[in-house]
Parts: sequence; C-alpha cells; structure tokens
Amino acid sequence: MPQLNLVYRHREAGGPLTELTAYERAGGYRALRETLANLDPDETLYQFQRSGLRGRGGAGFPTGRKASFLPKDAPLRKYVVCNADESEPGTFKDREIMEMNPFQLLEGLTLAGYAIGAARGYIYIRGEYEHQARILDRAVAQARAAGYLGQNVMGSGMSYDITVYRGAGAYICGEETALLESLEGKRGQPRLKPPFPAVAGLYASPTLINNVETLSALPPIMERGADWYASLGTEKSPGTKLFSISGHVMRPGNYEIVLHDTTLRELVEDIAGGLRPGRRFRACWVGGSSVPVIGEEALDTPLDYESLQAVGTFLGSGGCIVMDDSGCIVRASLRLAHFYRHESCGKCTPCREGTNWLERLLQRIVDGDGRMEDLDLLESLFGRMSGTTLCPLADGAVAPIRSALRLFRDDFERVVREGSPRPEPMMEATVA
Amino acid sequence: MPEREPVTFQLDGRTVHAPAGTMLVDAAAMHGVEIPIFCYEPRLGAPIGACRMCLVEVEGMRGLQTACSTPVAPDMVVRTQSEPVKQAQDGVLELFLGNHPLDCPVCDKGGECPLQDRTFRFGPGTTRFAEPKRHHPKPLDLSSLIALDRERCIACFRCVRFSQDVAQDRNLVFEERGGRTYIATASGEEYDGRFTGNVIDLCPVGALTSNPYRFVARPWDVKNAPSVCAHCSVGCNTELTAREGRILRVTGRPQPNPAVEEGWLCDKGRFAYPATFGPDRITTPLIREGGEEREVDLEEAVAYAGVLLSRGAAPGFLLGATATVEEGFLALELAARLPNGTAGRLGVPSDGLDVLRALPAAELGDIDGADLVAIVGGDPANAQPVVELRVRKAARRGARILVIGPRSTPLDGLGGRVRTEPGRLVTCIETLTDAVLGAASPVVLWDEADLANEPQAAVRLAELLAGRAGARQIELGGDASTAGLRALGIPAGLMLGQAVAQRIGTFVAVHVDPTDGPGGAEWAAALARVGPIIAIASHRSRLTDRAAVVLPALTPYEQEGVLVSMTGRAQRLRAGAPGPGGAAAGWEILVALSHRTGKPLPYRTPRQVFAAAAEAHAAFAGMSYDTIGDLGQPVARPAAPAEAPPPPAAAGDGLLVVPCPAIFGDATARRSDALAAVRTPPRAWLAQDDAERLGLNGDGLVRLASPHGEITLPAAVDPRLRPGGVFVALGADGAPGAESLLPPDRGPVRASVARA
Amino acid sequence: MTADQIRAHLDPIRHEFAESRSLVLPALKYAQTEKGWLAPEDIRAVAEATGLSPAYCESVASFYDRLYLQPTGTRVVSVCVTLSCMLRGSDEVMESICDTLGIDDHHHGGTTADGTVTVQTAQCLGYCDRAPCVQVDAEETQGPLTPDDAARLADDLRGAPAPTELWR
Ligand SMILES: Cc1cc2nc3c(=O)[nH]c(=O)nc-3n(C[C@H](O)[C@H](O)[C@H](O)COP(=O)(O)O)c2cc1C
Ligand code: SF4
Ligand code: FES
Repeated sequence: MPQLNLVYRHREAGGPLTELTAYERAGGYRALRETLANLDPDETLYQFQRSGLRGRGGAGFPTGRKASFLPKDAPLRKYVVCNADESEPGTFKDREIMEMNPFQLLEGLTLAGYAIGAARGYIYIRGEYEHQARILDRAVAQARAAGYLGQNVMGSGMSYDITVYRGAGAYICGEETALLESLEGKRGQPRLKPPFPAVAGLYASPTLINNVETLSALPPIMERGADWYASLGTEKSPGTKLFSISGHVMRPGNYEIVLHDTTLRELVEDIAGGLRPGRRFRACWVGGSSVPVIGEEALDTPLDYESLQAVGTFLGSGGCIVMDDSGCIVRASLRLAHFYRHESCGKCTPCREGTNWLERLLQRIVDGDGRMEDLDLLESLFGRMSGTTLCPLADGAVAPIRSALRLFRDDFERVVREGSPRPEPMMEATVA
Repeated sequence: MPEREPVTFQLDGRTVHAPAGTMLVDAAAMHGVEIPIFCYEPRLGAPIGACRMCLVEVEGMRGLQTACSTPVAPDMVVRTQSEPVKQAQDGVLELFLGNHPLDCPVCDKGGECPLQDRTFRFGPGTTRFAEPKRHHPKPLDLSSLIALDRERCIACFRCVRFSQDVAQDRNLVFEERGGRTYIATASGEEYDGRFTGNVIDLCPVGALTSNPYRFVARPWDVKNAPSVCAHCSVGCNTELTAREGRILRVTGRPQPNPAVEEGWLCDKGRFAYPATFGPDRITTPLIREGGEEREVDLEEAVAYAGVLLSRGAAPGFLLGATATVEEGFLALELAARLPNGTAGRLGVPSDGLDVLRALPAAELGDIDGADLVAIVGGDPANAQPVVELRVRKAARRGARILVIGPRSTPLDGLGGRVRTEPGRLVTCIETLTDAVLGAASPVVLWDEADLANEPQAAVRLAELLAGRAGARQIELGGDASTAGLRALGIPAGLMLGQAVAQRIGTFVAVHVDPTDGPGGAEWAAALARVGPIIAIASHRSRLTDRAAVVLPALTPYEQEGVLVSMTGRAQRLRAGAPGPGGAAAGWEILVALSHRTGKPLPYRTPRQVFAAAAEAHAAFAGMSYDTIGDLGQPVARPAAPAEAPPPPAAAGDGLLVVPCPAIFGDATARRSDALAAVRTPPRAWLAQDDAERLGLNGDGLVRLASPHGEITLPAAVDPRLRPGGVFVALGADGAPGAESLLPPDRGPVRASVARA
Repeated sequence: MTADQIRAHLDPIRHEFAESRSLVLPALKYAQTEKGWLAPEDIRAVAEATGLSPAYCESVASFYDRLYLQPTGTRVVSVCVTLSCMLRGSDEVMESICDTLGIDDHHHGGTTADGTVTVQTAQCLGYCDRAPCVQVDAEETQGPLTPDDAARLADDLRGAPAPTELWR
C-alpha cells in the first residue's frame, strides 16, 4: 500500500513549505522553469493529456482533455480558475496543500495558465478558509516579488498574475458554474450548460476550472514526466490521489496514495489506524458525502475510479467518511439531508423542494413518527429528484441516502418502528 | 433576422420541421404539442432552465433535457409524452404543490393561473407532501401598485429577471437561498421603477398581484378585450379587463405585439385606467345658457349643439391627444360641409420634419436588431416609456447606444452619451455621422419637438441617414392621436391664430382643453374671442367648465377606432367596457351632430367611418379594420417636403426653457388614484454654472417667467447639465405646470430665472 | 462603514477584475468588518462603492452564510455539525457551548443576552480530521474539542477583547 507524496511535497520535505525559498529548495518551480524554457504551450498541454491526470474535485474528468476544449485562437482573454471552495463533507485535502505547500498550487496554476494562454488565474477559496487565504496571499506576493508571477514570468515573456478571491459561505459555489457566478459578483447559482466554461466561462471568456489538487499535480507531472506519472496506478486511474479520512477511525487525516495500489480496507485499517477496539465497520462514504454509501462487503475494493464504480460508488473528492457500528445510518442520512437542504441554491424545483421534503421526512422518521409508507415515499422522492436538475447537487443529495435505504433497509425499518436514540459519539481525540 | 434553415426532426413519432436553433418548446408548439413551462420566457433573455417543468426525452442524450434550452437539431428524436417525461412532470408539479398554499379560491390568480392550469393538465393534482408548509408573512406591499404573497412564489425567476435584465431598475431581487429563497426589495425600500407592473403579468402564480385590482374581480366574471394604450404615441397593445361595465385592469396582451411593445407596458399605461371612473369623469351632458346650467340627456345636448353649429359660420374643430382617425376624419368632413369650417389639432407644427419622416422607417421591434441605436433629443424613457425597454434590449444584445441631447435621462448610463448645449442638437451631427457610418444597421430615434425647433439639425440628420444604406429612423413625439391626424392632413398650430383673428365661430373641442398645456394663457384669451364652445370630453377641465354644451365622451378604453402610433402603425382601439350611460363615442357624437346640422354623414359604425377615411386619404389607402387586424398595419409615409422651414427664433430673455417629460408627472398620472403614490411634482433643474451665476446654491424655489407665463418651482442643480438652459419637468399638480412657460406651438422660448 | 472607506479598500484590487461587479463580495466582506454584520446603511454604502443597486447587493449578501443581514454578537462561533463532526460529538459540543453561554436553543444557537457572542451551527468546515471542530469568526478552525474544551472556549470568548476588524 504505497503512499507517495507528490502533491504533498511538504511531507516529503519534512515540514511546511510556506516560504518560497523552502519550496525552491524542495525542488519547487523547477517544473515551471523548464517548461517555459523548453516547451511551447501546446506541448505543455500535450503533456497534461499524456499524464492521464483526472480532475480531483469530484467529477474525475481528464484534465488535459478539458484544457484542450478551450478555443485556441479566440479573441477573448482566457482565464484559469482554481476551485478551492472545498466544502464537500469529509473533504479537507486541499486545505493542507494551501496551508503547507501553497507555492505548488501557484506553480500548477501558472503552468495551466501557460498551457492555455491565460491572462490571469483566480483562486476561489471558501470564505471559511480565511486562514489559508492569507497564506496564499502571502505566497502570491512572494512569487510575484521573485518573478514567478507578473509582467514577464521568469523572463519568458509570459504575463500572468493570480488573484485570491474569497467566497462567503456557500457549498454550491464549489460547482464550477456557480463558482463563476460568485466570482462575477452574483449569487452563486449554477448556470445552464452549454455553453461550457471552456467556451464561455468567467466574464463569458474561455475558462479552465480545476481543483486545487488537480493543479498541484501539474508540477510533479512536468518535472518527472507525464509518462512516469501515467505509469502510476492504472490506465484509467493514473497517478496519486489525496484521501481525507474522517469519522470513526483512530488516525483521521490526509493521505496521498498511488491509485489502485491501496484498498479501502488498507486505508481504513492500516493507514488511518483502524477503528476503536471492539467496534465494527459499518458504512463508508468514500468520495465525500455525495456518493453512494458502501458497506463492509466493499472494504477490499482497490481505491481507483473504476473499481469504486464497480461496487456502486464513486471516488469523488476522496473525502472518506467512516462510520462504525456505534452510528445510526438513518441519523447519518438525516444529517446529510440537512446539509443538502441547507446548501441547495434554490434555482431548480426538484432540488429546492426535494431537499426540503427529504430532510423533513427523515426528521420525522428519526423522531419516531415515521410510517412504513414513508420509506416508499422516500424512494419515490429520490426518483423525482435525480436526473431532473440543473447541477448535480440534487443527485448528490439522493446518492448517499437512496443507497443507505437500499443497503440498510432493516435499519430504516427499525427506526420507523422505534425511532432512533442518539448514539454515543466517538470522542477519542486523535489527530494524525 | 435572417431566415433560418428548417430542420427535420421527430416529435412524438411524427416527422416535423422547425427553423434551426428553435428551442424544443417552441418547435413543439409549432406542431400543436404543448410542453409545460414556468421559467421559460424568451422576452427575458436566454433560457435559464430553472423550474425543470419542461423536461423531455431526446434520443441519444443522457437523462431528460429541458426543452426550453435545447435547440432542435436535424434528425433529433424527441419524446414529450413518454413515461419518464410524465414522471418528471408529475414530480415537478408535486414538488411545487408541496409548499404552495391551496388557497386558489381566494387567490386573485385563480382561474387564470398557469400553475393551477398545468397541475390540472399535466400533474398528479395532489401532493403526498404532508409536512408543514413554508410560512412567510402574508401579503405585503412591494409598492402602492404591487402586492407580494411569498408563500405562493414558486421561485421561477421571471420577475427578478425582468427587474435585473429587462427594465434594469434592479430593485426586485431574490434573497436567501434554497428553500428559504424569497422575493424582496432592499430593506425598507419599495419596488420602484417605471415598468414594475409587468412582473404581475409575468408571475405564473398569484404571488405578485396588482394592488388596484386585488379582490376586485374573479377571472370568471370578467370580460377581456384586446386594445391599445392611448396614453402616449407608442401604441402599446393591451388587454382590457372589465366587469359590470367598468375597466378593472390593463395588462399586456397574452399574444404580445413583437413590432411594438413586446408585451411590456409602462406603469402609467397600466395603472391609468381608474381615471375612467374617477371623480373628474363627465357622465352627464350639460347645457349652459343665459348664465344657467342644465343637466340634460345626450339627445337634447346634441340637438342644442347642432343648433349652435348651424347658427354660426366658420366652426372650428380642435382635436386632442386621444382623437381617433375616425374622429379626425369626421371633423374634417363636418368642417368641409359647414361654411368656412376648419379642423386642426394641438401639438407641434412639424411638417418640415417630413424630410426625416420620408426616410426608411423602423418599427420599435427593429431596435433590437440594430447595431447602433442613437437617440437624438427628447427623453423616450419618460415620454414614450416602452421605447426604453427596447433600447435596453438592444444594448443587452451588444448594440452600441448613443444618447444625444441636453437632458439627463434614464438611458444616459447605457452607452455613449453626447450632452449637447440646450438648443444646440446640431453640434452632435459629427459624432453621429461617425457612428452611423460605422454601423451596419443603425436606427436613429429623433425627437419631434426638439428637431422642430432646430430644422437645420433635422436637415443634416436627414442627409446623413439618406446617405447610409440600411439606416432607419423612428420619430419620437406627439400623442396617441398625432400621427393619425397628421396622416389625414389635419394641421397643427393654425387654429389659435384663427381664433385670435376671430375667424372661428363655434368652437368644437374634441378630447381637448387647449388652455391646459403650452400656450394655455394665449388659448384662454383666444377662446374669449370665439363663438360658443362645444366640448366633447370625457373628463372635466377648465374648458368644460365654461363650454356652452358638454357632450360626455367615451374614453379610449370604451370606444372603437384607429390610432396611428409614432412609428406609423395603425392599430385598433376596442371597447373594453361600455362606459357611463350618459356618454357616447366621439365619432358617434360627431355623426349625430352632422345630422343635426342638416349635413348628415352616412356612417353607422366606426368601421364604416374608417373605410371612408381610407377611401379619401392616401395614407390609409387600401386599409380596413380587417387588414389592420390584431397587430396593426403601417400607414403610408409622407413625401419629403421641398424645403426646410426657417429656424424659429426663441422669444424672451434669459435661459432657454428645456421641457422635460416626466412619466408620472402628467395629467394621466394626476387623474388615476392608483398612481397617486408615484406621481412626481413639477420641478426645475439648472446646470452648475447657471445656478452659481444666479446665486442658487443647493435646492430652493425659483421663479421662472417667459413671455407666455410664469411659474414658481422647486429647483435643483444637476451637475451633468450644460449651461444655458432651465430644465423644467412637465406636468402639474392640478395647477398650470411648466407647460405654461411654453408657446402654443412648443417652439423655443427663454425664461428669466430668479430665486423665489 | 462609508462608501469612501469601501472604495479605498477596493481601489488596489479593481484592476484584477474585467467586470467591476466582482468587487461586490470583497466589498460586502469588508463592510461587514465594522459591526460584524451589514445594516441597511452598510448595504447602501457597498452599493454606492460598487455602482450596483442596494437591492442587488442585499440579494448577493443574503445568499452567503457568512454575510449577516441581522445583528450578530461581537464574536460568532460556528460549530460544525456535519457528518464527520457529528460522529465525533459535535452535537455535544454545541450543547456545551450553548449551555455555557445561556443560550436555550441547542439546535440553532442564538446570541447571548449581552450581545457578545453568537453561536450558530455550520456545515462541514473542512476540518473533519480535527472533528468535532469549531470556528470563531474567520479565525483558524479549532479541534478536536471535548465538550469541556468547548465550554472553556465559550467562556474565554465572552471575556476577550473584540478584534478591531470583525472578519467573519
Ligand atoms: C455541488 C457541487 C459542489 C462541488 N464542490 C467542489 C469543490 O468544493 N471543489 C472542487 O474542486 N470541485 C467541486 N465540485 C466539482 C466542480 O464542479 C468541478 O467539477 C471541478 O472544480 C473541476 O475541477 P477538476 O476537473 O480539477 O476536478 C463540485 C461540484 C458540485 C456539483
Ligand atoms: S440542483 Fe440544487 S444546487 Fe444545483 S442548481 Fe438546482 S437548485 Fe441549485
Ligand atoms: S464534517 Fe465537520 S469539518 Fe467536515
């Protein structure tokens, strides 16, 4: 179960890389220097494509391919936007990059800007990450002072700068088009696609949007070579991936693993220190909360896109939430329903009304006032909400709860009959 | 717009065609298939796909697609009735109803509610959502005109998009998010704007309702009639709703007129109708004889008027702001049959401007497609309000907007702004030339009154436009009646002189009181020199207070006839309500008078009158009520005049008076109690320099005196104005307004300005 | 906060955005640092500084959790109650903080009678590795907290001097 710290360079370096000099000492900015010196933008883009890197924000779309959708000779300015909204429940991997290794993100964002010919990069960071935003502000200033940003990046003639833009508390702003709306000073509500951001994104200009981790993977790819990167993991899941693991495990935290080489069991039992003594694994939301929940029988699945899909879930953001047998799946579902109800932007009917209905139904069931027909009503509600909305938030709300009802039907029926007493939480203070 | 290639596609198993790029909803509608919608409204801009009501199946596309935002493509296979589609429609409706109050029986929208209707036709009809519904405080006033019931709102975005993108008043918004979302204005503010009432028409549920209309009627006991608005020269198409003989509501037509208003109305036009049953309404005929005043019936009044007309020679027929083509034609006919009779109209004598009118003309609908929209003089946002929305739409679509003139107008911020010195529009021609020559499809809107005062600017503008292929023009100005009466050849500006010269005997005022407007004092003096006055009028005025006979007339809401809009579009007025019992249509009164004078005119219906007018006047050749139809028909353009008139000289000393129209400042707004809260008082503005020179710092009262009248007004400094003028808002709170400073022909005039 | 103060804050970053509307979030966030929430006059100042309508600015502000249109306490404590934190005792932390501060509504929180502290629940703060976690204003999120730690934190806050700028 190899862990390999490419994105988490600071772990390799043994300490935070929040000073530019420290980052440079750890090999930072070598990739950008060599790329600017040796490759033209198209060749750079080709390397992205060759690496097979897939988006780490949740959807897993091939990054190089997405970048290649930007029109080559559009008269409009182009932009790169880094999605640092990190609000998916159970996900905190990007936070560590920004806290400990901010320059790698800046370097990746600059590489992406070079490849598509962008005028500026924006980092849209969730408002609650003010602490991390200040680290980024400082890093941007240092990078600019050192010539890594500005009118003439590293003497290459490239003009590029980065703006750190703070959100103000809204999960939906992690959805790429809602993010663009928010960055444009509007309410963060998703846009109809097409047009896709690659064609008409920020200020209706061609825009590449990528997650923090995705962009931070670019420097190692350019440094060690796309082919080397592609040789890690599988053909469909090359490279390393950050997993945030939390919930009922002894060592919650972030871990960078080579895709496919580690199973979920290894992640939970070995890397994250396993469960409390005497507790049994019950359920896991492996890719953030917006993916179908899986049970014990899926523990031996290798962690990669295709294997997880084969067991009915998604790798998603890599935010792996583990629940042992002290937890109640119905309560957990209610808590998630509450999340999605709170975060629905309200633009489309099935999501706005459906998330509301979902929470109220589950609340009634947890309170002991449920009826067996409510479970059928839930099923029917899932049908009304999924595949009918503008953005995937509503599907994200349905996925973990519908799967829970199917996988743990007995628990739901028991709670309908008896209600759900509040379980003892795990309070062991354990940080990796 | 270029014709789009038709494409062939499959619709529920049928092979059908639609122009490429048509959204599936519209393409299906072309073939009689209704796909239910809520948020889709192309007049608001690109589709947003929010409500999810219009989901359909398209073969080869993953999941269901929103038909409002999916364009037809060749060989597309579309299913609108399949099981997944039915499920989705059921689902969306059920989810809507889960939080929607079931108070249809007491809701103003009941019976004409798209949600009710679509639930009935496409939905489950019930909801299994048994949880408590969302609660909001019950109806609150967004403004004096509009009430909001937040519980009924289905968050379709229509009203908000109207405010943000169409009217761009930007005062109506969503607040909060998710299920908590509600419609609001900024805390403590009303929904303020010139077009706010459109959100009532747009709302697909009973969340936004008209305050004046609330609880007045239920849709099943009302009658609707398509008509046109007669409160300005634009000619917006309206729908009139009446109950028990009264107009109770004016709305945009369900089938808007794309060439004119596109379904939007300004708040003045929408909320002016209460004047039809206001306290000033004349309902009883009157005869004043030997110092005595008698209420009589209409027949007696007409008989008496006929006697007055036959007795004296040289009758003068003066036609006002709402006179129809039929009334104008009848006045002409009567004048021709009576010894030395004449007919005239109020307004600007501007025949010289035929040099512009003769050029290729655009309709308002053409503004959208222009790449340059230049406004030369005037202030359409206040005087021809709906034009503003067209101009904003053009701007949204990327047209360059150029606003030229001395006034500060609501369109100023929209693009290029050339602020001219008062009375010096001619200085803009160079800028305009560059812009027009640089554009492929320029549309120039020019103000009648401003250019009539600067004929040399008009001539240069005409030369410019004539030399640019593809350039078109639109005249801004006049009243609802102006273009129609002009097309009949009825002159403006002559009758006052005739009256002063005592060449008018019996004076017949048709929908007009000339003493209430520019040159009011001169008119008052002149009317002392004419014979008896016959007033055909719907509302009380100084003139009806002194007329020998008052013949109560129907308003444009209550009668038939043709009005010609400023773009030269003949459109039909239709009676939305019968009007008060003692009143008759102006045309009917004129025909009756002809019988009483022994020169009977052979018409029984306005249709016949119009047919005769079309026979007699080239501008209407070949036209009839049928050819005009529901959407109107252009009248023939005038020929260019041989030469331009000489520039008129401004009388008086001091600053040039720049009349500024005010949408809610005129008599229309004054007469409707619905508009009481939005009415604006008369005011004056000065440029910084002028104010300083006059020792006016900050706001205060000023006394203005021109050779035509005097008035005291509150004045303010507008730093954007150029010096040399005093800018006065037209309209008045009952007393004579700033119009009294103006000469009867609205020509240039100067006024002395002093602190009062 | 005045429009001039907001303008001065925006001036250095104006050039970073092709459309000035993007300045509305920075403007709102900055305007909020004065009182910790946005009163109608602050909204009007933001509107003036950005050239947008007050209704528009209010609409944007109301969309985001961390912009407040109602008065808050001097300090705002956000207790994450999403799944990972719940599994590790966030409800107990919430209760403990509310009890310490004398706030009755353990579900939603509220503001202390003396107006010093507002307690609210928050959705996943991105610190699930330190669950259960709590964020004070926009400071770095803290965790893991036992109910006792949380009570101490609440107690300390009540007595602590208020920061000069209230970033939320
Ligand atoms: C409701 C919702 C929330 C999302 N939140 C995030 C997020 O916080 N961070 C992120 O990188 N992507 C998020 N995404 C995914 C983005 O829409 C988008 O796919 C991603 O930023 C693309 O970058 P990538 O290709 O590098 O993954 C979210 C998507 C949805 C539908
Ligand atoms: S699915 Fe939900 S969050 Fe996404 S656009 Fe629709 S309402 Fe907004
Ligand atoms: S669930 Fe609390 S920080 Fe993620």
